[in-house]
Amino acid sequence: MENSQKFCELFFQALRIRLVEERIIELYPGDAIQSPVHLSIGQEAVAVGACRDLKKTDLVFCTYRSHAFYLAKGGSLGEMFAELYGKVTGCARGKAGSMHLAAPEVGLMGASAVVASTIPHAVGAALAAKRLGHDQVVVGVFGDGATEEGVYHESLNFAVLHRLPVIFLCENNGLAVHSSQKSRQGYDILDHARSYGLPVYHIAEGYDFVKVADMMSDIIQRVRLTREPVFVEIRTYRYKEHVGPGEDFMCGYRQPEEWLVWKRQDPLEQYGNLVETFRPAILKEIDEAVHFAMSSPFPSAEELLRDVV
Amino acid sequence: MLCNAAVTSRVNGQAASGLRAEAGTEIMSYRDALHWTMHDALQRHDSVLILGQGVDDHKGIFGSTTGLSQEFGADRVMDTPLAEEGMTGVAIGAALNGLYPIQTHIRADFSLLAMNQIINLAAKYKYMFGGRFDVPMLIRMIVGRSWGQGAQHSQSLQSLFAHIPGLQVVMPSSSQSILDTYPAVIDRYRGPVISFEHRLMYDLQFYVTPLATRQEIDPFGSRLVRPGEEVTIVATSIMVLEAMRAAEHLALVSDIQCEVIDLHCVSSPDWDLVMHSVEKTGRLVVADTSWREYGVCAEVCRVVAERNPGCLKAPVVTLGMQPAPCPTAKCLEDLFYPDLRQLVDALAVLVTGKKSHGLPLPDTQSMADVYKRFKGPF
Ligand SMILES: Cc1ncc(C[n+]2csc(CCOP(=O)(O)OP(=O)(O)O)c2C)c(N)n1
Ligand SMILES: [Mg+2]
Repeated sequence: MENSQKFCELFFQALRIRLVEERIIELYPGDAIQSPVHLSIGQEAVAVGACRDLKKTDLVFCTYRSHAFYLAKGGSLGEMFAELYGKVTGCARGKAGSMHLAAPEVGLMGASAVVASTIPHAVGAALAAKRLGHDQVVVGVFGDGATEEGVYHESLNFAVLHRLPVIFLCENNGLAVHSSQKSRQGYDILDHARSYGLPVYHIAEGYDFVKVADMMSDIIQRVRLTREPVFVEIRTYRYKEHVGPGEDFMCGYRQPEEWLVWKRQDPLEQYGNLVETFRPAILKEIDEAVHFAMSSPFPSAEELLRDVV
Repeated sequence: MLCNAAVTSRVNGQAASGLRAEAGTEIMSYRDALHWTMHDALQRHDSVLILGQGVDDHKGIFGSTTGLSQEFGADRVMDTPLAEEGMTGVAIGAALNGLYPIQTHIRADFSLLAMNQIINLAAKYKYMFGGRFDVPMLIRMIVGRSWGQGAQHSQSLQSLFAHIPGLQVVMPSSSQSILDTYPAVIDRYRGPVISFEHRLMYDLQFYVTPLATRQEIDPFGSRLVRPGEEVTIVATSIMVLEAMRAAEHLALVSDIQCEVIDLHCVSSPDWDLVMHSVEKTGRLVVADTSWREYGVCAEVCRVVAERNPGCLKAPVVTLGMQPAPCPTAKCLEDLFYPDLRQLVDALAVLVTGKKSHGLPLPDTQSMADVYKRFKGPF
């Protein structure tokens, strides 16, 4: 299994995202990155698995926790670091920071810091795809907390009503900031979604990028052919604090034991040899990206009022 | 009643309610102008989609979308669930992927449920991503008035939106204004536009210039609708009509000539036009459809105060709604909105410098009485 080409490719991509975020952790105390960072460490397999069979023309709408999806969808690493550094060469010319990454050239259609707010955008993009006769599949990515927002309900209803080619992808890490899902939700996410009358899928092994990729491959294929919406919940686990570069197991709202359970299943933690094999090439790429970011200019004063209307 | 709108450029004769005036002008109601622009947009652009609650029913947003769903299909003129935020998000996503959505709110008040999508997303999508996306869309909001519209069906929320960088906010004050604005915006502007349509104007007939003689004008900016020497009236939406009526009354009973400016695009008015006029007349009245506090009235005063306060011969006068939610009892509603009498009196006091100026005031008190065709139920 771990020798298969698919495993190695996905491993490489997941590791790349983790090493990028670990570099952010290293750099963060230097205060050159002046942006809140919501790290995906622990959740990389969701992004790489979900994006593997998406085409560049397929669209993904994300949340503020989007480094992983940005990279998995094919966004430029140099432009991402430049964006974190507030440089004009960043993917949004230094106006987005970490929370609003976008790479329209590869179908990463933006990320919003307002919980649940991009879910209807995915539905609307799917409406356009249907009307214009494109074969696009659109993915709306959101957390478990986002399912508590009214607009999530509004979006599900409209997508089902008009049979739109959209995948609702719930990245369930069991937490919204420091609150457990149990303390927030009186419903079961899957049962609730199912009641709208669309097919629902559950992937419990959100650390297993091959499993995620295989299931997502079928789901993407299904949506591409049927042009109808589906719902997918992928269980995962956030290793770091909600926002920022640190760990927070000492804060008492969750236990390190649950982390250990996830880590024991996490291929990036388990296959040290493979990590060592891939690490040098990835680190070289990261070094270059950071160098590009650091040596790029800041936006000039004219940028302030550019692109307002 | 027939309103003579001085701004002119285009019309489709066919939609002009069958009415024809003398050569060079035609007559078209505000409703028919709206309907014509909606039809025109659907016909000329495959990408246009109209989304709103009831856009496909027999009333068709007060007649502005009637029959379009039958003609262009329910997938292009789409009735929506009762989901203001979600549908605004859907419109944004559709705009990001190649469509031009036109969204309707049968009352502007209901757009408050979509504030997150309008302000946090649509207004910022271009800037926040460094200019990499455009969100071309038109959101039509109807301002209700009279027949007991009350606190939640009458709000004129232009300043809320005009406050936000990234949104263009227009307030068409005539059929011509709609014909000049909507097609140009839909054809050429790539960002979100919010339009406040005044319900009281839907039934009014306006002179418009025929399609053949149309000229393209900037869909944003402001318009000089009446030249004058003694005082400048800067007005929005239906208050432009009131300003014209006040100006005509004063011209009849006195030597006072009012210059009237239709601010039109409240998010980016033509301030040079406003300043040029105020510098000429030295007197300014601002008449807006909404509350004066922190609104259009306040903003016009800010700009004059910043640019050239010394040009004023007298303090500025502002007219707007009274600082309360809108009441429903007719007697209270009449006090709540400014009327023609107040406007004429304010102008006369300002120009003569005397409280007892002795000029006759018009009889009509309530604008809703004047625009008589506007009667419930609706
Ligand atoms: C509308 C809104 N409410 C609250 C917040 C503050 N907030 C930021 S992230 C977050 C938690 C969201 O949890 P979830 O959707 O599960 O995503 P996760 O962070 O776990 O990936 C909250 C409440 C916000 N950004 N937007
Ligand atoms: Mg969560």
